[in-house]
Amino acid sequence: MAGAAPDTPIRSLPSWAHQEANQIPEEAISALETYKKKDPAKVVVRFKAVGNAPIMKQNFYKITASNRFQAVIQFLRKELGWKTGDPLFTYINLAFSPAPDDTVSNLFKSFATDGHLIVNYSTTAAWG
Amino acid sequence: MSTYGARHYNSQATFSTPASTTLFRRLTWEGTVPLEVRVDSKELPANSDRGLECYYVQAPRVSYLPLLMPEIRRFLMDVVFDEAAAEILKEDEWWFESEDGIPMKWHWSIGLIYDNHAISHSLRTTRVAISGVPLKLTLHLASPPSDKLLLSPSVEACKQAFMGQLKEADFIRWGNTKRMTSLRKAEQDGIWEGIKEHNFDDFWRVASKVTPTTAPTRTQSPPPSSASVHGRPPSADPGNVPDRDGAYSVRCIPVRVYLPDGPILQDLVPPMVEDGSPNTLGQYLATHIPLLFPLQPPPPPPSRTNPNPQAPAVQQLAYALIQGVLAPPEAEMAWLGACLAGADGWVNVCVGLVR
Repeated sequence: MAGAAPDTPIRSLPSWAHQEANQIPEEAISALETYKKKDPAKVVVRFKAVGNAPIMKQNFYKITASNRFQAVIQFLRKELGWKTGDPLFTYINLAFSPAPDDTVSNLFKSFATDGHLIVNYSTTAAWG
Repeated sequence: MSTYGARHYNSQATFSTPASTTLFRRLTWEGTVPLEVRVDSKELPANSDRGLECYYVQAPRVSYLPLLMPEIRRFLMDVVFDEAAAEILKEDEWWFESEDGIPMKWHWSIGLIYDNHAISHSLRTTRVAISGVPLKLTLHLASPPSDKLLLSPSVEACKQAFMGQLKEADFIRWGNTKRMTSLRKAEQDGIWEGIKEHNFDDFWRVASKVTPTTAPTRTQSPPPSSASVHGRPPSADPGNVPDRDGAYSVRCIPVRVYLPDGPILQDLVPPMVEDGSPNTLGQYLATHIPLLFPLQPPPPPPSRTNPNPQAPAVQQLAYALIQGVLAPPEAEMAWLGACLAGADGWVNVCVGLVR
């Protein structure tokens, strides 16, 4: 401040206003790193056609659990030879469409049937 | 803002739900967060009124960014952009980015976006987080990173994602989606209209058909005293027949745990644990992320020199935010599912690291 002597604080702020936060403990950071590690395990995904969607010759695939569901949708589109814009609707257990950013691992833990995650696919909205 | 829906307080829409449950649902519903939306200065069209390109809004936690777009657009068109610019701009290319450079998902509720940013951003800042600080969002007017946003910014896509989440929550609770699929089309649309219009009664008129209650719906108990607000729900008392739709009768509670900067954990969360007592947030976190929530060890056995031993202190490494509120470890998961879930039925637990 111009004019103010350096050692005469004009007005001191309350302590909380300029409090520097402590460091996060190393233990917490390393715990977080552990949970951030991607699960390299693979799980079995079983594709089942609904309605007049084409049937796949092979319908069991091992997919890395840390993938997002979006990757499963893209894989399925490629296998079916679907072009961008071709309609494809995907469901778990004939019941709901998961969020595309959900991981295969999370879906498998909650919804697997007999060790398979069942993904239904349809060319029209079925349980929308 | 606090005025949302206040005039509907005395309506009878949630007549079969205990007052304490309705209170917490109301508090959840009325929760808002401050947002600061600033158009990326490099993308401002020619002749824009610079210096005004910032918009502040107190947005409902249960709402979604696509639902805020009309309001933001109206402001920009009226105040910032000139007519020529307004004509070329394509709203379906607009997208939001946090100050950490993370694109904001269209299908996450605004409350979740806020809390998730808070726990992630606090890793990087040395300032003490002060609650109520606006979340700074940069609005970009072109080139959305579709691979990260995953969904189009349309209200319709947001609605579909929302309905998908409601059904997934239904499946987690009961092992099927019968409650959701038995809703009539008008009811399914009504639940989304309730979100869009931020109308508590319209939303809960339908949502109460799919969300478990904390008390048997058939007993019309007198208004609870202040003590029972925090007490155990009657359905969990011994001697009472467990209610089929009760919060403690579900198979599992729809819960997601968000860790700073990334991983989202979802697992089956039963309402009761093996010894028949209710599953608590503390137990759940200690089971699933024990490195961040270590179990409190028991005190050592008493001895002559130390007749009343204390349990060794465990350093607290992390905390849990639910709807922006610091959640106590003794909170019961079933209760959280009935009272503090988001509008999509999911209990979002945002875990932050303690400094």
